[in-house]
Amino acid sequence: MDHFPTNWGRPRNDAYDAYGTFPIPNRPLNAPKDAFGEGVQRTQQPIVTGTSVLAMKFKDGIMMAADNLASYGSLARFKDVQRLQPVGDYTVIGAGGDMSDFQYIQSLLDDLVVEEFTNQDGHNLGPKEIHEYLSQVMYGRRTKINPLWNSLLVGGFKDGERFLAYVDLLGTTYSADTLATGYGAYIAQPLLRRAVEGRAGGADALPEEEAAKIMEDCLRVLFYRDARSLNKYQTAVITASGVSISDSKALETSWSFAEGIRGYGAQTQ
Amino acid sequence: MNPMNTAAQPQQRQFNPYTENGGTILAIAGVDFSVIAGDTRQSEGYNIQTRYAPKVFRLTDRAVLAVNGFAADGNMFVKKVKQRLEWYRHAHAKDMPLHAIARLIQTMLYGRRFFPYYVYNILGGIEDDGSGAVYSFDPVGSYERETCRAAGAAQSLVQPFLDNQIYFKNQQPAPGTAHPAHLPLPHVLSLVIDSFTGATERHIEVGDGLEIYVVLAKGRDLSGLEGFAGLQEVSSRSDGERIFVIRRELKKD
Amino acid sequence: MNTFVNQFSTSSALSVIKKAQAVTDDDEEFSDAAWGSEAGFGSLAKGVPSFSVPAVQDPTSFLRLHTDDHADPNCRIKIQHGTTTLAFRFQGGVIVAVDSRATAGSYIASGTVKKVIEINPYLLGTMAGGAADCQYWETYLGIQCRLHELRNRERISVAAASKYLSNLVYGYKGMGLSMGTMICGWDKTGPAVFYVDSDGSRLKGDLFSVGSGSTFAYGVLDQGYRWDLTDEEAQELGRRSIYAAGHRDAFSGNTCNLYHVKEDGWRFIGNYDITKMHYDGPGDVPGSTKVAYGYDVRVEGRTSSNPPVAAAA
Repeated sequence: MDHFPTNWGRPRNDAYDAYGTFPIPNRPLNAPKDAFGEGVQRTQQPIVTGTSVLAMKFKDGIMMAADNLASYGSLARFKDVQRLQPVGDYTVIGAGGDMSDFQYIQSLLDDLVVEEFTNQDGHNLGPKEIHEYLSQVMYGRRTKINPLWNSLLVGGFKDGERFLAYVDLLGTTYSADTLATGYGAYIAQPLLRRAVEGRAGGADALPEEEAAKIMEDCLRVLFYRDARSLNKYQTAVITASGVSISDSKALETSWSFAEGIRGYGAQTQ
Repeated sequence: MNPMNTAAQPQQRQFNPYTENGGTILAIAGVDFSVIAGDTRQSEGYNIQTRYAPKVFRLTDRAVLAVNGFAADGNMFVKKVKQRLEWYRHAHAKDMPLHAIARLIQTMLYGRRFFPYYVYNILGGIEDDGSGAVYSFDPVGSYERETCRAAGAAQSLVQPFLDNQIYFKNQQPAPGTAHPAHLPLPHVLSLVIDSFTGATERHIEVGDGLEIYVVLAKGRDLSGLEGFAGLQEVSSRSDGERIFVIRRELKKD
Repeated sequence: MNTFVNQFSTSSALSVIKKAQAVTDDDEEFSDAAWGSEAGFGSLAKGVPSFSVPAVQDPTSFLRLHTDDHADPNCRIKIQHGTTTLAFRFQGGVIVAVDSRATAGSYIASGTVKKVIEINPYLLGTMAGGAADCQYWETYLGIQCRLHELRNRERISVAAASKYLSNLVYGYKGMGLSMGTMICGWDKTGPAVFYVDSDGSRLKGDLFSVGSGSTFAYGVLDQGYRWDLTDEEAQELGRRSIYAAGHRDAFSGNTCNLYHVKEDGWRFIGNYDITKMHYDGPGDVPGSTKVAYGYDVRVEGRTSSNPPVAAAA
C-alpha cells in the first residue's frame, strides 16, 4: 500500500513506470483494449460550429440575436444558417457550438412539442419547461460522457413573465438579465450589462427600439473582432403578443477606421 | 515531461465533464440555531455568468443544504436529495431527521465514488435534541459534525477567520475569564457577514449577493433576528423549527 | 446510436460491469432500498451496493485524471485524506491511537477528524487513506457484522470481520479505493489486530502503524513496546507515538485520539492536543510522566527555570 497521502484515493497509474523497469520509453499499455472502441463515435469536438448568441431582457419581453454563419474550422462554410429557433408558442432557443448537435436538439424539441400538443390537456410548454427539459438532456448527455456540444440560450414570455436562461454542454445553467454565449461572453456581455445594469430601472426601463439598437451595436463589435462571425444576422423578439423572428439583416459596417490603426498588423509605424 | 508517462496521457484530448463555478459557502452552528450562508455569484474562469444563482437550499423545516463546486452537479445533487426526502416523507409521514439526512448524503455521494459529483456540501440545521448542527462533506462522502465550516473558492480565507473567531484559536482568554463555548445569534450573523465582505474584497470569485439561512430550534424566540434588514421567513409552519433567509448585497466588482 | 457496436464492443471485466449496469440502469438508483430507511446501503438481499461508473474507455484513468494529484494542482476534486494511525496488541488488550488531521492537497481540511471508526462495541477500525472509503466501507462492515450476530447468535470474530472487509475491497482492486485500516477487537481468541488495505493485503499481527506518519510512530513504538506493558504504560506509548508522528510529519497532527480495547469491549481514553503535548505534556493522565514531550527535553539546561537534572540535585 502506498503510504504517501497525496497518492491516496486515486487509482494507481499502472502505465507509469516509476522505476524505469522497461527498456523502451513507451511501455505496452496494459489497460483493457476495446477492439470496437474506434467504432463508437461521440462528439469529442465540434465540427460545423456557430459562434455567439446574444440575448437580453427589455421592458416588454426578451430580445435575442445570432448571426447566420456556420463555420467549418476557420472556413466560413454556411452563410445562411438560422441559429434562432422558435419552440412552441412562447419560446425561442438560440444555439452556439456544433450545428449537427443543434439540429438533433431541434428534432428532440419538435417531438416534445408534438407530444405535448397531442395530449390536448390544456397545458402548453413555456420557456421554463423547455429550459428545464434542455438542461436535463444536456446534463444527462455530459454524464454519459457523450455531450451535445452546444451553448444554448432559452428566451421566452409566458403568463406575463419574461424568462431568459442559459444551458451548455456540461449542463451548467444560469439566468440573468443579459446573456451571451461563446465569444460574445467576452465582447458583447460587458456592453449589454452596461446598457441594462447601468440603467436606472434596469431592463424594465428599456424600450424595444433601444434594445434593438444595443443588440445591433453588440453584433457589430463582434463582427469586427470575432473572426468566426458574419455581418448577416437575425433577431428574435418574444413578448406578450408572441414570438417573432426577423428575416436576415445585414450589418452596416465601416472599415475606414482601419487606416488609422497603428502599431500592429501590416502597418507597424 | 517524463517520456515513460506517455502511455498515461490518452485522456488529454477527451471531453472534460467538470468545471468549477466559484463561490463560497459557510455554516455555523449555535446552541439552538444554525446559520448557513453562501454568496450568489456564479462564474467560470474570469467570466461572471450570473450575479444571482443560489447555492443554499432549504431541504426541510430544519435542514438547509449548501453546495459548492461544479454548479450543474450541485443542482442535480440537491434535486436528488430533495426527491429522496420527499420519498421519506411519503413512507414515514415525517421529515427526515438531520443526522439521517447527513448519512443519506454520504451514501449518495459515495454512490458516485468512481465518477464523483464535484460538489462540496455543507448541511446545517437542527438535530432532534434541539441543538444546532453543521455537517461538512468531501466530494465522495466523508463527513463530520462540526461547529463551523467554510468551503469553496475562499475557504482558505474564511476558515482561518472562523477558527480564530469561533474556536478562539491562537487567542488567550483574559486572566480569570474563559472563551464562550457558544456564540449568540447576532454575533454569529455579524461574523458571517464580515466573512463574506472580507472574501469579496480578496477573492475574485466571491461577491454580488449574500444569502444567509437561519434555522431556529423549536420554541426558540426570535431574539437577535428582529429588525434585521432583508429578513424573510420561509418555514412551512410556525409551531416547529423556523427558517429565515437574509438577503444582502455584496460588492459586484 | 451505435447500440449494435456497443453491444459487441468488448469483454473486459470493466465493460462487463458497465454492461451489467446498463442493463439494470433503471434499477440502479431507484430500488426499494432508496425509498425506505436503508438510506442507500442497498437492498440487503442484493448484497453489495452498486456504483455509477463513467462511460469512458478506461474508467480508472478517468478517475485518476480528475481526482487530486500533488503533481498536478489542476485536478479539482480533492478527496480528504487521513494520516497517522497505530494499533498494538499487548497483555492488557489492544491500544488504538490516531491523529485527527485531514488534508486535501496541501490544505488542512480538518483538525478534528474521528479516525477511529466504532464498528460495534467490540470492534474498532482505523482510518488512513481516503476518508470516505474508510467511513463508508467500515460502516458497511458494521451492518454485515450485525447481520452475522443475528444469523449466528454470536459475535463475529475479528478475523472474520477483517476478512469480510478485505474480500470486499479486493473486488474493487485497481479502481481507486484507498484504505489502510486496522481492524481491532476482542473475541474468543483474545485481543486481535488485523491490518487490511485496499490492495487486498490482510495481515494478522501484534503491532501496526499506517499512514505517512507511520515511520515516525514506529520509531517510538518499537523502542517502547513489550508484551507485558501495563495498561497505563501502553496508553502512554500510543499517545507518545502519535505525538512523534504529529510533530515530524506535515500530513499528521492536531490531536490524538486514544482507545483501549479490553475483554468487555472498547473504551475511549481521551483526546490530546499535540501542540499541548509538545509544550506541556499530556496532562495528569494515567501513565504520563507529566513532562512535556518536546519542549522540556529540548530546552533542558538552557534556562534557569528548567535546570539540568544534575544541577538541580
